[in-house]
Amino acid sequence: MDGQTLVSRMKRLGEVKSIKEVTQLSSAIFPGPHCPLMGAMMAVRGIKDSIMLVIGTDECTYYTKNTTISNAAFGGIDGRCLSVVLDQHDVTFGCKEKLDAAFQELMEEYRPRAVFLVTTCVVEVIGDDVDSMAEQLQEKYGIHIMPVHTEHFKTENHLPGVRDTITACFDMMKKQPVTDRVNVIGQRMGDFTTTELYRMLCQSGISLGMKLPSGTTVSEIEQAPGAKVNIVVNPIGLPLAQKMQKAFGTPYVLFDKYIDPDRIYGLYQELFSCLERPVPQEVQTLYQRAKQAVTEARSRLEGITYIYGNTPIDCFEYNAFMVKLGMRPLLIQTNDLPPEGDPNRQAILDRWDPYVTKTANIAPLQYVYDVLRPNLYLGHEYATRLRKKGIEIVHGDIMSPMLGLEVTLAGVSELIRASDAARQLREERKAI
Amino acid sequence: MSLCRYLPTPSDRMAVMWTLLTVKDAVVLEYGPAGTTHYCVSLFGAMGISPDQTLFTTHMSEDDVIMGDVQRLERAIVELDQSYHPKVIFVIASAVTSVIGTDLVGVCSYMQDQVDARLIAMENGGFRGDYTIGLRQAYTMLARELSGAEAGPLPGRYNVLGASASSYRIRSDLWEIEDLMSRSFGLVQHTALGVDSSLAELASMGGARVNLVLRAEALPAARYLQEQFGTPYFYGVPYGYNGTRGWLAGVGALLSRPVAQEVLDQLQERESQAATFRMYASMYQNKPHRPAAAIVGDYDMIQGMAAMCRDLDFETDLLLCPHTLKDIESPDPNVRHFTTEKEQLDALRSLEYHLVLADDVSLHVCGKTNTGVCVSFPLVSHVQIANHLPLMGIRGTDYLLETVDRYYQVLE
Repeated sequence: MDGQTLVSRMKRLGEVKSIKEVTQLSSAIFPGPHCPLMGAMMAVRGIKDSIMLVIGTDECTYYTKNTTISNAAFGGIDGRCLSVVLDQHDVTFGCKEKLDAAFQELMEEYRPRAVFLVTTCVVEVIGDDVDSMAEQLQEKYGIHIMPVHTEHFKTENHLPGVRDTITACFDMMKKQPVTDRVNVIGQRMGDFTTTELYRMLCQSGISLGMKLPSGTTVSEIEQAPGAKVNIVVNPIGLPLAQKMQKAFGTPYVLFDKYIDPDRIYGLYQELFSCLERPVPQEVQTLYQRAKQAVTEARSRLEGITYIYGNTPIDCFEYNAFMVKLGMRPLLIQTNDLPPEGDPNRQAILDRWDPYVTKTANIAPLQYVYDVLRPNLYLGHEYATRLRKKGIEIVHGDIMSPMLGLEVTLAGVSELIRASDAARQLREERKAI
Repeated sequence: MSLCRYLPTPSDRMAVMWTLLTVKDAVVLEYGPAGTTHYCVSLFGAMGISPDQTLFTTHMSEDDVIMGDVQRLERAIVELDQSYHPKVIFVIASAVTSVIGTDLVGVCSYMQDQVDARLIAMENGGFRGDYTIGLRQAYTMLARELSGAEAGPLPGRYNVLGASASSYRIRSDLWEIEDLMSRSFGLVQHTALGVDSSLAELASMGGARVNLVLRAEALPAARYLQEQFGTPYFYGVPYGYNGTRGWLAGVGALLSRPVAQEVLDQLQERESQAATFRMYASMYQNKPHRPAAAIVGDYDMIQGMAAMCRDLDFETDLLLCPHTLKDIESPDPNVRHFTTEKEQLDALRSLEYHLVLADDVSLHVCGKTNTGVCVSFPLVSHVQIANHLPLMGIRGTDYLLETVDRYYQVLE
């Protein structure tokens, strides 16, 4: 594979207006993005007394069960990931008959409080009306039954599956009297109670309600409208938060995993204003410490080049932050593109115009490294393979369970470590 | 099937994938949504198959599905050909392309002129049946499309047909067969279709002295190779000491060669040692629980292990096959295949004080009075790593008898 050809096929950030214009690095990809079915699985995993009923081929249902089978949150091998396996007959005549029979068995054996009916590509292609089937089953059995559509050919990756599953939970909610608690919506990884943000809420006497999808129950979802504020920690939680605001008047704050300390501090102010509480003193202290870390990092990171793969932090906010620190993006892999005029996108374009391509295609990327020759790679890759090419990996997963200014401190520290290691690699290669 | 609580039986498409991915110098290109490809990687990893640089997907957009646009596939074929220079590209359908009726054979046909690689389409979308259908098609296709006798006769060589990455401990079993064949007849393995083969080996496999067929799904391939190259085949699996002796005798008869005395002596010695277990069986005839075995797995494995159990004077009162038996020639009426998971679970849950030779899920479902050992797929708490711990042959029987001994220690 010729790296130069691959690079010549890519577009620059300044050339593209929407994600549809961003091309794959190659037409044959590996491993490719995850599908929304997996996203739905990740979301249902966190809703303790609910069941995921996948309607699909042997293959889709097999892989989903296989992924949950060693997962304690799903209940392991006897867990609450079940399926209705479709064959040629069902594809021709529809899945209703089989779904009805399976549902009866499910109710007899599991007696759940809520069931997510998760469709797959084939169900959507044949046009089975699973929404109506869910309505009929809900009427018959008197429990919450939510359809979730997960056809992958309409989406870029698995995140719409998480988004649509948590949005479907709106149908379980009931109007409640409001108390001094918050809901956390959209956390995909980690435990909210280990975050800095949680610590600050505790200091202010704010308790937690629903944590969707990072760990909640059907009862907590039903009572979620009783929260004073919804904290949305990832944009996948926005549709639900917006529906709750409209239906129950619950305000929300988008407190995503950001890294720029000014932005994080601003969000703390916004959140505590909604909570009608002062910002805790510790936030001020952390903010000053984070600002100082950023100032000191500049001289260590100036001129460092990188390829951005996939990290737990908001893609364009992170890239804009690194540009502000004097780093240079050579290529950004993304499955989402902010609109023209977005401040982060503009901050990058004001200094550089990196290549853009879609994520999750590491096979041809190997050839691009030799052409672009970055110092760093941010994302999931084989560290040893990268080092052989003089590239150091930046481990972003350490920030997965974090929220708040702790992200800045950990992120900057890791960038410095990786940049120092990258310089050393270059020195060693020169010496050889 | 209605409700599926555990793992469904893998489909024809899954078997086609895990079989073709083991062919070296070829690549597999899936035409379908990318999520399936990413999802399958962990399963293939558990089978000991690395898809790095051999498995690719095109992904599909809504436009491709609605309009039937195959340009994405065409570009991927050309790109793989130019970038990786594989000798063969297996182009495999997905559930979506099967439902919308994409003509993969047609695409491969008109694209063939534009690439150096040989294009072979497999239109299995997962609706033709279970994995045995896929295995049968994959073995047959490999034999028909890629076999040859380029290197001329290979008198000291044998091929294995019907090995599958989905068979637990298959690489260890091939190692055991290699040892048996080498010591008994001085023959060495040329290629093992479905686990360990290359295009070059396939192209010369027609010269081998004999084909060893380990499962019924490989019989059409064996018959084709016999017709085409005159290679005789022996169908059977060496389980148990007695079964291994019979298997070696059958291969020897086909080769018109006696089995090496050293191997026969070893088998005789082992059988004498195992006589203790037959004595135990007779002692338990009047006890509350007589020795009984339940076996869950592929048909040919069940046949071999059931014979081994009968040699130990065990009753074999539950023989369960997760796959369809409709393509098995004269199937044993004692082997059952349930069409619903519930029936299978009920049968397994009813077992008491049995020796259970089965897969991880079945072993999990059985009650605690039973004594189990993992011998088949699917795997949950086991992975395919070892190449030296067989279930077949002499060493395999040694291992299984250790479980039999453990069984007697808890049998009341």
